[in-house]
Amino acid sequence: MRRRIVPYFLLSPGTIWLVLFFVVPLYYMGKLSLESGVVGSLEFNWNWSNYSEALSLYDSQFIRSFVYAGVATLLALLISYPLAYTIAFKAGRWRNALLFAVVAPFFTTYLIRTLAWETMLSDESPVTKFLHTVGLAPSGHVLATSGAVIAGLTYNFLPFMILPIYASLERIDVRLIEASKDLYCSAAQGFWRVTLPLSAPGIVAGTLLTFIPAAGDYVNAQFLGGVGNRMIGNVIQSLYLTQSNYPSAAALSFVLMGLIMVAVVVYIRFAGSEALMGEEAV
Amino acid sequence: MVSSEKDRRGRQTVLAVLLAAVALALDLAACGGGGGGGIEGGGGEESAEEVKLQGKPSGTVTISNWPLYIDKKTVPDFEKATGLTVKYIEDVNDNAEFFGKMQPLLSQGESGGRSLFVVTDWMANKMRQLGYLQNLDKSGIPEVEKNLRGPLRHPAFDPNRDFSVPWQSGMTGIIVRKDLAPNVHSICDLFDPKYKGKVDFLTEMRDTVPLVMKCEGVDPEKAEAGDWLKAIEKIKGAAQSGQIRRFTGNDYASDLTSGNVVAVIGWSGDAVQLQIENPNIEWRMPTEGCMLWSDNMVIPVGAPNPTAAEAWMNYVYEPKNQAQIEAYVNYVTPVEGVKELFEKTEPELAKNQLIFPSESFTKKCSIAPPLSASEEQKLTQAFDAVLNS
Repeated sequence: MRRRIVPYFLLSPGTIWLVLFFVVPLYYMGKLSLESGVVGSLEFNWNWSNYSEALSLYDSQFIRSFVYAGVATLLALLISYPLAYTIAFKAGRWRNALLFAVVAPFFTTYLIRTLAWETMLSDESPVTKFLHTVGLAPSGHVLATSGAVIAGLTYNFLPFMILPIYASLERIDVRLIEASKDLYCSAAQGFWRVTLPLSAPGIVAGTLLTFIPAAGDYVNAQFLGGVGNRMIGNVIQSLYLTQSNYPSAAALSFVLMGLIMVAVVVYIRFAGSEALMGEEAV
Repeated sequence: MVSSEKDRRGRQTVLAVLLAAVALALDLAACGGGGGGGIEGGGGEESAEEVKLQGKPSGTVTISNWPLYIDKKTVPDFEKATGLTVKYIEDVNDNAEFFGKMQPLLSQGESGGRSLFVVTDWMANKMRQLGYLQNLDKSGIPEVEKNLRGPLRHPAFDPNRDFSVPWQSGMTGIIVRKDLAPNVHSICDLFDPKYKGKVDFLTEMRDTVPLVMKCEGVDPEKAEAGDWLKAIEKIKGAAQSGQIRRFTGNDYASDLTSGNVVAVIGWSGDAVQLQIENPNIEWRMPTEGCMLWSDNMVIPVGAPNPTAAEAWMNYVYEPKNQAQIEAYVNYVTPVEGVKELFEKTEPELAKNQLIFPSESFTKKCSIAPPLSASEEQKLTQAFDAVLNS
């Protein structure tokens, strides 16, 4: 008897927390998303048109959010993997210092870091001048372009990519790589056949940790973007805070949640749950 | 062989991280939808609940205002003069956001302990229509009756000033970098392809759209919904062509000082401050005229100690007290007699057209007309679609 209670007891803080701050608000938001009218006289009447309207009015922002988040995730992966690899295998006694360097930016809030980027990329800044000279900013400005938003997203979520990949690389038993050499693998073959598959769980975790928050982000588009760079997070924010159109904002939030879930499920299927669980390692 | 124990733990870690990621994402999305439900019904429409004065003001009064909208001395001076205790909080940053925060309380007939707060004309109007504001007892505010400037006495949304008393007023026009765009003098100039990508417009619909209407030759005070939509269409075109760099609140300040843009639609009080930092920044009265607005003190339903709130209104309308506030905030004072005081003490300020605009200076300016709830929703939707494009 006692044995059966213990697990529930241990689960209860988490469960209560989730129910109170996730399930209950979710219920109210769901209800809100099906209401109609203006603030002050909202009524619940299964108004599903909030959803169809949300999708038809803001489809381009949805697509843009997923494209931005996707490109940022890919860039983050390309930057993170070699970095994590170096820290895990080549850094020697510098390992902790390098890891600290990866985490250090987190001592400053996300908002301030993005505002710093705004200053750094302003039209008269040396960075922008340089990019213009080498032909990467033909219009003469970097701020208020999609490039700036994607760069900001990549930068802000980079550590979420580096850390899981590092963790999975660091766990790899070096003897396996040695064994591959014993079996006449070249360095490249060894990497493709041993190291990369073994680090797949880290890659999957890192891409999800980057992609999911990036798709819902609105800070980068707000500060680094301009006209034509707004993401779905900005739309939800403005529907809620400036238009006081709570039903549409709630419906959009649900659509975003749904789309992200679908994307994640498809991705995990595609990447293979074995990769995620590290089955191939055995 | 690899230790299977270590491996299993690793897998569990990855799973936990994944779950955390999904929960985080859901959380973010939930956040966007905001604080939840219970947004039902308001007070009665046009219910004219009136402030009931209770003898001599005493006790504590809580005042909500915008940041940096008062000098440091006025509150303690008021406390000394009246014996009241004032809790002065600066928690209004944006009309719409403040509304979002207060609405669930106000719809329950509560004000969250606030006796008085300050909102812009259109928001005062909106709250009034929802029955969230009380009528004032004018016997408690004789100084307001006496000293309120003539042009502010009969605004369309509150023709007899039954429920609102201006805190400060201001003008919306253009702010330019004299060194980079010396020839911008009108709203129409902002659409000149010469300044492509070098112009910011305001996210505040009631400033940006009527000004563009003026450029089109439409009088905003007589405009119909169709005129608004036409102006929004024009703004949309400029946004899509890349003419407008971005839509901002007063964060246009950073774009202007760094030279990212050369001209913006902006507020007079900001320009007075910015000019101190960079003398090349200048507020200009558009040749088409400006938009005039006021931020108003209002007493919400369920406000504790409204008697003291009226005492506060009365106090800040005494010219010498108002002069003290005005010297600090640099917006347009709604109180008669302040200019005369400044002429003696600070003649430079008294001459500044941005602080004491003459009637001829603001001749062509307009006040944004009140919109009905359904018009408002339609127009904000159209305008926000442009902002969010």
